[in-house]
Amino acid sequence: MAAELELAERAVGFAIAAGADEAEATGLISYRFSTEARGIEVTKLEQSVGRSLALRVFRNGAKATLSTSDLSEDALRRFAREAVDAARFVGADQFAGLPETNGAPGDAALELFAPDVRERPAEEKIADALALERVVRQTDARIVNSSGSQVVDSTTLVTLANSKGFAGSYWSSQAHAMTQPIAQDGPNKRIAHYGTAARSYAALEPIESVAEKAAKRAVEMIGARKPQTTRCPVIFERDVASLVLSDIFTAINAANVAVGNSFLADKVGAKVGSELATIVDDGRLPRALGTSPFDAEGVPTRRTVVFERGVLQTFLYDTYYARRVGAKTTANAAGGGIGPNNFYLLPGNPDLEQLIASTPRGVLVLDTIGFATESVTGTYSRGARGFVIEGGELAYPIDEFTIAGNLIEMLAGIDEVGSDLIFDQSIVSPSFRIAEMTISGT
Amino acid sequence: MIGEGRRSMVPDVTTLERVLSRALGGGEYADAFYERRVTRSFRLQDGAVHEAGISVASGLGVRVIAGERAGYAFTEDFSDDALFEAASVAALIARDGAARTQEVHLPVEPAHVASAYRAIEARSLRAESATYVDLLARADVAARAADPRIRSANAVVSDELQEVTIATSDGRFVRDRRPLVTFGVQCVAVGKERGTGFYGDGGRTSMDYFTEHTPEEIAREAARIACTNCDAIETPAGEFAVVVGAGSGGVLLHEAVGHGLEGDFNRQGTSLYSGRIGERVASELVTIYDDGNLPGERGSLSVDDEGVPGQHKVLVENGILRGYMHDHLNAKLMGSHSTGSGRRQSYRVMPQPRMCNTYMEGGASSYDEIVGSVKRGIFAASFAGGQVEISKGDFVFMLAEGYLIEDGKLTAPLRGASLIGNGPEVMNRVTMVGNDGRLAARYYTCGKAGQYVPVGVGLPTVKLSAVTVGGSGFGG
Repeated sequence: MAAELELAERAVGFAIAAGADEAEATGLISYRFSTEARGIEVTKLEQSVGRSLALRVFRNGAKATLSTSDLSEDALRRFAREAVDAARFVGADQFAGLPETNGAPGDAALELFAPDVRERPAEEKIADALALERVVRQTDARIVNSSGSQVVDSTTLVTLANSKGFAGSYWSSQAHAMTQPIAQDGPNKRIAHYGTAARSYAALEPIESVAEKAAKRAVEMIGARKPQTTRCPVIFERDVASLVLSDIFTAINAANVAVGNSFLADKVGAKVGSELATIVDDGRLPRALGTSPFDAEGVPTRRTVVFERGVLQTFLYDTYYARRVGAKTTANAAGGGIGPNNFYLLPGNPDLEQLIASTPRGVLVLDTIGFATESVTGTYSRGARGFVIEGGELAYPIDEFTIAGNLIEMLAGIDEVGSDLIFDQSIVSPSFRIAEMTISGT
Repeated sequence: MIGEGRRSMVPDVTTLERVLSRALGGGEYADAFYERRVTRSFRLQDGAVHEAGISVASGLGVRVIAGERAGYAFTEDFSDDALFEAASVAALIARDGAARTQEVHLPVEPAHVASAYRAIEARSLRAESATYVDLLARADVAARAADPRIRSANAVVSDELQEVTIATSDGRFVRDRRPLVTFGVQCVAVGKERGTGFYGDGGRTSMDYFTEHTPEEIAREAARIACTNCDAIETPAGEFAVVVGAGSGGVLLHEAVGHGLEGDFNRQGTSLYSGRIGERVASELVTIYDDGNLPGERGSLSVDDEGVPGQHKVLVENGILRGYMHDHLNAKLMGSHSTGSGRRQSYRVMPQPRMCNTYMEGGASSYDEIVGSVKRGIFAASFAGGQVEISKGDFVFMLAEGYLIEDGKLTAPLRGASLIGNGPEVMNRVTMVGNDGRLAARYYTCGKAGQYVPVGVGLPTVKLSAVTVGGSGFGG
């Protein structure tokens, strides 16, 4: 770890020597393992170590960046100089620069690293991928094929050094297991996907459970048909609910707000959502996949309430966009822009079954495709598949339809939130119901 | 120390031979992909150049194939030890039996390949920076001058040169230098409501491209779309006749047909087009090509990432499915040949069968005849993108600019919405094909299994007799 920090510090030194006023370097070393099985064959095995370094330089209020996988001394020195040269062509900006203060380096209490990711033998990881393939087929005879099962993991060392003397580093790990079974439905193939992700293998959902859920998702769509065009309540199951949260994140990203590309641009302090809409960004939840001790600028992560019972409290900032509006960074700097820590909707009490049971008539959405959201107006539209709900029960599967609405109306229309929140990626949500949306079919 | 003793030059032919010989111990085929890619990008925001960036990606990937199994490892360190380690890891994980050693011999010089690119000139960053800044400033002025409703303009220019060396255990040895320039402008306009517009251009050529295709033209087009969208009304919901505009409408083919014809899905039997060569999959008006040779297009490649020259492929001919797009692995397993479709995002990942530039042959109808034939429907002028689920074939494409058609004429502009359909079903509903076929502006990028590659799309004006349109306007 000391050697990696020294490399980041040397990159900062090269930038300062080339004429930068301030500089910051982030080193990334990632040990990755990936395997895929299909049927009874192991079809892919990949194992590598990736190394890269990102440098930000500031000169007279102008910013330039460098990202490189070439870490040779010559390359670092040369490209650091080129970055400083490039900054001469950038406009001076009084808000550009490093953060005033940085955090305490590292934080073991966050439990971001699990030794089992590195220590677990490759044979066991491969056996998991094969087991996923075996169990999806055993679960139901109508599962005739698959697009493969994957087990993927990584352990990553992040090191960050800047010219103000900050030096920090931390290890983290991730493990994923996922499968994509295909059910035969007459002439049609019905594919489904389901997976699990966590900081350690030990915390993953059991392989059998992953396979059974995936198989159920494929089989339950057999016989799906196109619904009639209508307006009705819509329940978003948690995987697709998290995609709606991603659209909301885009609109509270201060970089989008700054250029007017957000339907929430002038809504701070306004009651936009329903009483049930409390949305939080939290970088300090132990073991969660969006957690880190400090953000991409070395600012300690924190918990920020973005919506409190429907009222928009704040946008999410890095140092630059916070300075522009006289605010403080919320420690959301990420990869050269603004990104989520753990961005999530606070869960409610009912489980998904209870949510369905309390819906006399509506649609349950299990999967969406496409990404047609206009952040500037909040116009939302997606391809979808799922179920028609009649009398509080799943009546029949439907596909090849769209759901549409406006994110403002959707936030205001959240009338029930489920309990099924899992921190398996950085933007997550429990299932929720929206009072009314447009279903477009026949 | 990771900063010292690392080499960053392309391995010589003897080293590549030894790396491949080591790798081949684990299977029947091995290849090495060396890449060095330098990208410079400048971004304008709020009327000033906001940021400059340099990105350097440099590494070598080794792949070993044994039957259906593929082992892979990459290294960013070009010392002999690191290269042999990558070869050993790739070989070990694909091994189907005892270790073997086989000699691999490469030609002394890489093969000469015809270039699919426009003139390439590598200029120094210092010389080129003034050009980038000038183009951005001109775009900013043009966007703001285009219409008083324009509130903000963002522009990005990106200039990339990817140098690859590909060597395979069966003796293929090629080099390629691939340029890619992109200029994109996004505008926000405020009128009755807010609207955004994006437009971009570029291709596999040098920055000189923007002398003819000026930043002013690109900026004005982005501004025009933003202002149009200010006045947009809710897109209706339900089934409508849809006229898909020439050019960027090619996203339709890319999603409805293209992905489903990629070799991996068909070898695995997971695509709805699996085993259907020779069958009718579209209206007889439909002929679709994928072409890796079109000069300067984003999806064009002198050689693909497995060293195979770019090709012109007939995918669908008069509605009949003619062929799939193959990389080495899937072609071999299906007893076929690579179609030069093996592409990858970088040395860090294995290649997959991918599209290059996908387009439909022109037909007999004029634009006026096609639009004039629709009593009430949707004109989809351009698309922001699309997505497909290849097993059942349901796909969406997302409207970036659209209009209502009433009594054969374009009327109100429409808010963005998804259109959804099933590949063969929609392609069978092609009832008119325009005589105005063209390629879309060059800014599309295709994502598959987490890998992003530049592509081209193209289409003549096309009429689809009925498609489900996913707006929120209900009962209108």
